[in-house]
Amino acid sequence: MSPPENRLFTIGKDLLGIILLLIFLILFLNFDRLNDSEMLNDIPSAWVNVNTIFLSIVIEAIPFILLGVFVSAIIQIYISEDTIQRYLPSNVYASLFPAAVLGAIFPLCECAIVPVVRRLIKKGMPLHVGVVFLVAAPILNPIVALSTFFAFRTDLTILYSRMGLAFFLSIIIGAIIYIVMKNEKGSVLRSTKSADDHHHHHHHHQPSGFTGRMRQMSYHAVDEFFMMGKYLILGAFIAALFQTFLDRATLMAIGGNDFTAPIVMMAFAYLLSLCSEADAFVASSFSNQFTSGSLVAFLVYGPMLDLKNTFMLFAFFKTRFVLVFMITVTIVVFIAVLLLQMFLL
Amino acid sequence: MKRYDHRFHAYIQGIILLGFALLILGFIITDNIRYYIAPDMMPFIYFALVMFFILGIMQIFRSTQKDDAHEGTSCDCSADHEMKGPPFVKVLIYSIFILPILFGFVLPDQALDSSVAANRGIQFGSGILNEDSSEKASAETAEEESVTEEDDDNDLSRAEAYLEDPDGYLESIKQPPNTDEYPSEDEVDEHYTVEDIYAEQDDIDDHYEEVAQEMLDQESIFVTEENYLDIMSVLDLRLDSFVGQEIEIIGFTYREPDFLENQLVVARFSMTCCTADAAVYGTLVESDEAIHFDDDTWIHVHGTIEAGEYDGMPMPVLTDATINQVEEPDTPYVYPSFSPF
Repeated sequence: MSPPENRLFTIGKDLLGIILLLIFLILFLNFDRLNDSEMLNDIPSAWVNVNTIFLSIVIEAIPFILLGVFVSAIIQIYISEDTIQRYLPSNVYASLFPAAVLGAIFPLCECAIVPVVRRLIKKGMPLHVGVVFLVAAPILNPIVALSTFFAFRTDLTILYSRMGLAFFLSIIIGAIIYIVMKNEKGSVLRSTKSADDHHHHHHHHQPSGFTGRMRQMSYHAVDEFFMMGKYLILGAFIAALFQTFLDRATLMAIGGNDFTAPIVMMAFAYLLSLCSEADAFVASSFSNQFTSGSLVAFLVYGPMLDLKNTFMLFAFFKTRFVLVFMITVTIVVFIAVLLLQMFLL
Repeated sequence: MKRYDHRFHAYIQGIILLGFALLILGFIITDNIRYYIAPDMMPFIYFALVMFFILGIMQIFRSTQKDDAHEGTSCDCSADHEMKGPPFVKVLIYSIFILPILFGFVLPDQALDSSVAANRGIQFGSGILNEDSSEKASAETAEEESVTEEDDDNDLSRAEAYLEDPDGYLESIKQPPNTDEYPSEDEVDEHYTVEDIYAEQDDIDDHYEEVAQEMLDQESIFVTEENYLDIMSVLDLRLDSFVGQEIEIIGFTYREPDFLENQLVVARFSMTCCTADAAVYGTLVESDEAIHFDDDTWIHVHGTIEAGEYDGMPMPVLTDATINQVEEPDTPYVYPSFSPF
């Protein structure tokens, strides 16, 4: 089937994989010795801290990415385009509200939600509905509510403001995205259209049997894991750099007044890229220096948009959409927090 | 167009997945996972470990299938899963996955140190209360029993009002009685009174009550990893009840730039999910021995609780402390005892 030089190439590729696997195995078997070895003690401690935070974010996010890609795989295989069309209200604005409610039901965090929303949009869910889901789901979920409750048990208005804002702002953001993007031709998803069409013609088959479906699902999950994973890892690394080297004192100096404090906290939320389930505890560590309004800004903006998340969005959606989305979310959250500060807190 | 080599990509991806599985397994076997992930998150990590092994092996099998049997080896949407770009881009992409595995194996696993503490800003005591709330605590202890019930109802109805009609509710609390304008930053916490805490968290309150009682019964309070944050909270809530009592704490040394020679902080990192969200909790120590201990030294402090202050904030201070250097504890981090999971 292949000419000799091609075969040689194949053997080379196989060898490459085996060498890689051997390296992993050798490292695994020498885990303890490597950790205690003297030669690595010379690494500056700041870089060890970067490494610790980096690995910690990666290892912590991976199970949730896996959950996300599996949900996406299930949607891909079991839910048809027709089902989605049938259950969504045809009116644009009427469909925003159930999307926000749906976001509250699905306990998906911000790492897991991106592949799921992408899959739903691919399956024919309108973009603005997907956007509502994208920003609402990471905040409006029971685990996030519980951790916010514990972190701010001295001031429950923070919890109410966070949940309330997440619900209303997700609908507002969805509506704005609809208005801005409704004239856009073609899909906002980054994919090769022709290749897609080509595929639909050829084998638009359903895999047969349970094992067939399971196999299909796992292949699907792996492919998607490798698509998303690289952005997660890059994002985690940059977030770890910021966590180690960004001097909070300088930002806090700017954060004094009521107008700039929310901006600073939103910037923090973006750069730190925390999981929405844990960010409340970090926010509470700022409660001595920052106003309640800016803490709410941190808690609402971070799960909707952060550094590692941005990388994933750029991977899946076209640049124009991601920019519109980011600008919309930033402005809407900022204005909402200013209003909240003025009237409520 | 050159054919996309599904087999090779499945093969390499399978090996990378196995690499991740081995890394996580290694962390778990050596127990070094404690430097990265809180124990509450471990079920998710086990899930990831099992999935990585299964998926890794499946990928390698997938790579052995004939390329012609295309339907079997790729999913319906394979087109947008293919990696695009010239070979060096593919090498780059796989390096992004391989590097964290190598970092994980090769670089030393250790806890965060005081340079991170300095950057994150230390929280004295438990951080749930601050400013003058500890004074209020004692002043209002007498009233709190009577207020509790009333406030409880109040809060329940507030929550209900919110659930039924969020807009209307938000409207109705536009002018809360005790917030004229929103406060400047150093006043921001003043209106969270102790009643709020007691009324709204009966369970937690009972829990702290128990811990406080236990502490009062002890000759000398011994702070362990398990009760660290609880004791910090109780000390903040009820500092006055504990003045004069002896206490023992283990933690690492940390100093603010403006500390005197005899001052240091004995601190711990508290981790909720992962080290990215670790926060530093510390107790101020005043002792003539302080000068002998560098930052990041693990120490055991035995001192007497006094009501002191730093930077205008009242807080417990350990005076006349004896300090001894100790080994780093098995679990360098402490974890919140209430689990959000």
